[in-house]
Amino acid sequence: MSDELVVVGTFVISYGAMFGYAAYLHLRRRRVKG
Amino acid sequence: MNRVRILLSTAALAVAVGVWLAFTSPVDSLQGEYSRIVHLHAPVMWVAFLAFGVTALASVMWLIRRSPRWDRIGEASAETGVIFTAVGLFTGMVWGQAVWGQAWDWGDARLASTAVMFFVYLGYLALRRATPDPESRARRSAILGVVAVVQVPLVYFSVYMFRTLHQTPSIRPDGATMPDEMLVALLVNFAAITYLFVALLAARLEVARAEDEAAVAPGLAGDSVKPPRLSEIEDV
Repeated sequence: MSDELVVVGTFVISYGAMFGYAAYLHLRRRRVKG
Repeated sequence: MNRVRILLSTAALAVAVGVWLAFTSPVDSLQGEYSRIVHLHAPVMWVAFLAFGVTALASVMWLIRRSPRWDRIGEASAETGVIFTAVGLFTGMVWGQAVWGQAWDWGDARLASTAVMFFVYLGYLALRRATPDPESRARRSAILGVVAVVQVPLVYFSVYMFRTLHQTPSIRPDGATMPDEMLVALLVNFAAITYLFVALLAARLEVARAEDEAAVAPGLAGDSVKPPRLSEIEDV
């Protein structure tokens, strides 16, 4: 695997986790508020 | 559009600028492409320290004021800090594998102390889930929130106290160990990821407030109407 691909993948997974958490919070709030 | 959505949207824009700078700034001559990970790894670990500091501060405030608001801030910040620590550990392992030839070494003080900090704050979140009474939950987690923050300076200064694989900070009081172009990109990423933390903290607090309101509000229409007691209808 090329170095560039590993670095890009690391950024994608990391920001995916952080914005995925934001999406999870959005869904959790919608479930509570109805 | 509510406040949290505005914060998250603008944080996404700030992060996009940070990522663009990370991939257009010069790279280290020895580490090559992998040196770009510094623009993600260093800021997320700084935010993790900040988050656990906020949790400690909110815990102290809860012990003084006993207000549920401070309990919610402590919890929200700890949960967000755990996410950022997980990302920091992951990015560090990828970087370590490329530069040191190994992703993990339990003998390294910085790596081991960061892992311990991560598990202690996971324990903080588990403690909250395991304590149903709100008053006990707030008291226990406030005490742990104050005690656990001692790990933050331990993790930070571990690279000075022990011989470690992990390098010392690149930005020091006597200057930075990188060219200006790289430094500007790094500082922008520090600002963008700190702003993303503020947005995620606001989103988590919004959920906590909504859950607290739902816990005190009656679940169904008519829940607050009590059935008449037998003694009250005997005379009818």
